[in-house]
Amino acid sequence: MSWSLRDLFPYIAAAACVAALSYAISFGTIPRADFTFINGTEIQSIDPSVVTGVPEGRIIASVFEGLYRLAPNPDDPSVLEPQPAMAEKHEISQDRRTYTFHLRPSANWSDGSAVTADDFAWSWRRFLHPEIAARYHYQLTDYVVGAAKFNSGDVQVGDRVEVELRDRLNPDQPFPSGTILPGVLEEIITGPVPEFDDDDDTRKKADARWRDGWVFRVQIKSEKDGVVAWDEPGTTYTFCRSDRPNSTSLSEKVRSCHLVLPHFAETVGIRAIDDRRFQVQLKNPTPYFLDLAAFYPLFPVNRRCVEKYGYPNWTRPENIVHNGPYKIEFRRIRDRIRLKKNPLYWNADSVRLNRIDAMAVQSSTTQLNMYMNGLVDWATDVPQSMIPELVKREDFISAPMLSTYFYRFNVDRPPLDNSKVRQALNLALNKRELCEQVLRAGQQPARSLCPPGMALYRPPQCETYDVEKARQLLSEAGYPGGKGFPRLEILYNSSDNHRIIAEVIQQQWQQNLSIADIDITNREWNSYLEDVQQQQYVVARAGWVGDYNDPNTFLDMFVSDGPNNNTGWSNAKYDQLIDQAKSAANPNQRMSILRDAEAILLEDMPIVPIYFYVSINMVRPHVKGFHANIQDLHPLQFLQVDKVLH
Amino acid sequence: MTFLVNRLVWMVITLWIVFTVSFFLMRSVPGGPFHSERNVGPEVERNLNARFHLNDPLHKQYWDHLVRTAMLDFGPCYKLMDFTVAEVIAQGFPVSASLGIFALVFAFSLGVTAGVVSALYRHSWMDRSFMTAATVGIAVPNFVLASLSIMVFVFQLQWFPAAGWGTLKQIILPALCLGAPFAAYIARLSRTGMLEVMGQDYIRTAFAKGLSQRQVVVRHALRAALLPVVSYLGPATAGILTGSLVLERIFALPGMGSHFIEAALQRDYLLAMGTVLVYTCLLFLMNTLVDLSYSVIDPRVKLTSKS
Repeated sequence: MSWSLRDLFPYIAAAACVAALSYAISFGTIPRADFTFINGTEIQSIDPSVVTGVPEGRIIASVFEGLYRLAPNPDDPSVLEPQPAMAEKHEISQDRRTYTFHLRPSANWSDGSAVTADDFAWSWRRFLHPEIAARYHYQLTDYVVGAAKFNSGDVQVGDRVEVELRDRLNPDQPFPSGTILPGVLEEIITGPVPEFDDDDDTRKKADARWRDGWVFRVQIKSEKDGVVAWDEPGTTYTFCRSDRPNSTSLSEKVRSCHLVLPHFAETVGIRAIDDRRFQVQLKNPTPYFLDLAAFYPLFPVNRRCVEKYGYPNWTRPENIVHNGPYKIEFRRIRDRIRLKKNPLYWNADSVRLNRIDAMAVQSSTTQLNMYMNGLVDWATDVPQSMIPELVKREDFISAPMLSTYFYRFNVDRPPLDNSKVRQALNLALNKRELCEQVLRAGQQPARSLCPPGMALYRPPQCETYDVEKARQLLSEAGYPGGKGFPRLEILYNSSDNHRIIAEVIQQQWQQNLSIADIDITNREWNSYLEDVQQQQYVVARAGWVGDYNDPNTFLDMFVSDGPNNNTGWSNAKYDQLIDQAKSAANPNQRMSILRDAEAILLEDMPIVPIYFYVSINMVRPHVKGFHANIQDLHPLQFLQVDKVLH
Repeated sequence: MTFLVNRLVWMVITLWIVFTVSFFLMRSVPGGPFHSERNVGPEVERNLNARFHLNDPLHKQYWDHLVRTAMLDFGPCYKLMDFTVAEVIAQGFPVSASLGIFALVFAFSLGVTAGVVSALYRHSWMDRSFMTAATVGIAVPNFVLASLSIMVFVFQLQWFPAAGWGTLKQIILPALCLGAPFAAYIARLSRTGMLEVMGQDYIRTAFAKGLSQRQVVVRHALRAALLPVVSYLGPATAGILTGSLVLERIFALPGMGSHFIEAALQRDYLLAMGTVLVYTCLLFLMNTLVDLSYSVIDPRVKLTSKS
């Protein structure tokens, strides 16, 4: 036995090598794509309802299409605006709160069927469904009547509700849903409230389990041909999500159900009037609603496909049904996604590129290497240290971006609870030096939270660099000459760029204000987020990219107890102004209200704005149709390659 | 045979221990898979956690996970949501495996050749230069070597592409960079081993009988000299697995190393657990093969402890 094994050993080793070799070169047999670009990290999913990232957005916007789409303005390509896509036109009611979209007759899915208003109604319902847990839910819940209520599953006694029985085809898949019974909620029996631990994590879990054990008494109404007899009397049943209700003293039979939600059609202002017309009811006039409709979270998915295959199988290239300019040919995780032109797309004639490769490369150095080596046509990120060299090149495209880099102050922690201290820290920051000496890609120092470039909005400006005034304010606050100033700690998420900026700021504060004790500390991304969201920091680095072209996306963050506030700052007048702006009909008046709000923010300074980002792209000269814009969005369907120059 | 059964039992035990330690370690790190800069609000977080059973008490989660893993159902990924853990590993493993095999083969062949030549021509210029190169190879980290080779071979000489996976050209540079430190170490080991063997009596006998140097070295001396090298292959595999993490990022290779790092950073518990278990299996297997090969290479070694 050992004799033959000993002899065979080198042959086994040789066979392993040959196998490895043939596997390694098997990938190389695919034809080259027309256009290759780097998409950053591997996308989390191609389902528009569950993701939030920019790389995901690029792929989703190529494979799906919404009511409107963001496209370059024909007169000024550096401006992106919503243009009719699946909808060929829309109407807005007199009070500017009801939008009616008319779908294009030529809009169809890749399986040949037409895109109907029902597709949108179903997709948006799915998007709002609590089990989908869409992170971008606020794109609808902030604006559409009843959307927040449905999304949070908030049912009150007397509400019209829908009960989903526990008879789903596949219990793990929310769609296709089980039998849905309409009814009116008569009573909620919550049972005894359990003891909650101090620990945040166990408390959340215990809370979730307690809610699962609630018992709902619902008067189920009869339904015929889609019409519910709300006014007729019905039969009362009791339902519970868990097998073990909290309250054990019930005499009647408790039926098991998946969910008790507000009745969608009765609560939420989303409906399909007929096959071609889709209507949305907003809480307030929202001037940027078309931008929202053109943004990928609100893109539709095909109901038959999702219900047949379930998630995630419906996303596979062989199963997926989509309506966008491209389809997915194959996906290799952390290698590339290959997109191929969709011949059934309504505007297929305008799509020039046949095959596109979206490569997932994380390291910015490797990206640059691949671009310089001719392997890719468009690189989306370069190492910070190379920027001064690259700025001189023709193919280096940078433009101001709708995003701000700022530092958060924990206003609950002294000495930062004193607004004079915060203002002094702002005045002692030489932002221009930071932009010109350290960043060097054309970033502009920020004197407001909202970046410039949004139509009709001119942000108020905070005080500029003034060391004398800073020192004076610091003395007034009780720390003359920086004496007795408690320790400051600047927190940032691990990255060379953030570290360099933090070091410069530390140095500036030390020098200008004579504050001796400033530390900088870094955490890996998830830990950093945890610390910021729990307000376990003193000063923390932050960045924010605008979701849509309107100041509200920035200013909305800092309402009292807003989920993205995280500073502890609360100002009633600010909250009032932000709310007021939502219902202001006149756009100029609205911008003026928002301006007043931002002025309060900048006066009180719970955050210190530092600089406005610039988008950085490197694009080969043979690529046409690429235009820099403030949202740094470059839909692939508008790009083309000049074969002559290639 | 009993040897193999014995090893199998130990592998299962090792896997279970690794599973348990990893499980509790991962859960004890701050942050969860559903953290993001845009805070979602308690209801959404609750629903996300409910979907993946993260609201259950910890011991229940542990038990569920253990049972499913034992049945080879590794579960879905939290972050690469369109794929299951098994699919991600199935795509990434062959890439890392071929890279690793190339690197090992390169390390082995270059290292042994250099070491044997150095031993035979001790103190010559070849010996000195090989050993110096070996010291440098051991000392320089593989990513520094990668950067240097990219500068030279990709941009100056333009022999290889910068990154990516798919053609023969694309695999050579990463394999070389990955294997170089191990080649260096193997060179030193085989040199020492060779020197030791060449001083043995039976080698003297072979020469006395009139065999040529080549026959003596290849037929008789090499096998014994390779023993230290073979025993090093176990740790070398471990080193190649960890070394590939950095190189996969530099050369944009879609291997398991990339999946592993990202899973850890993104708190994708299930994917991280899957890759940890695969690595454990691999190392265990490699060490077992190494032990088996002793009996193949050296007839004096018996596997069981009966003798």
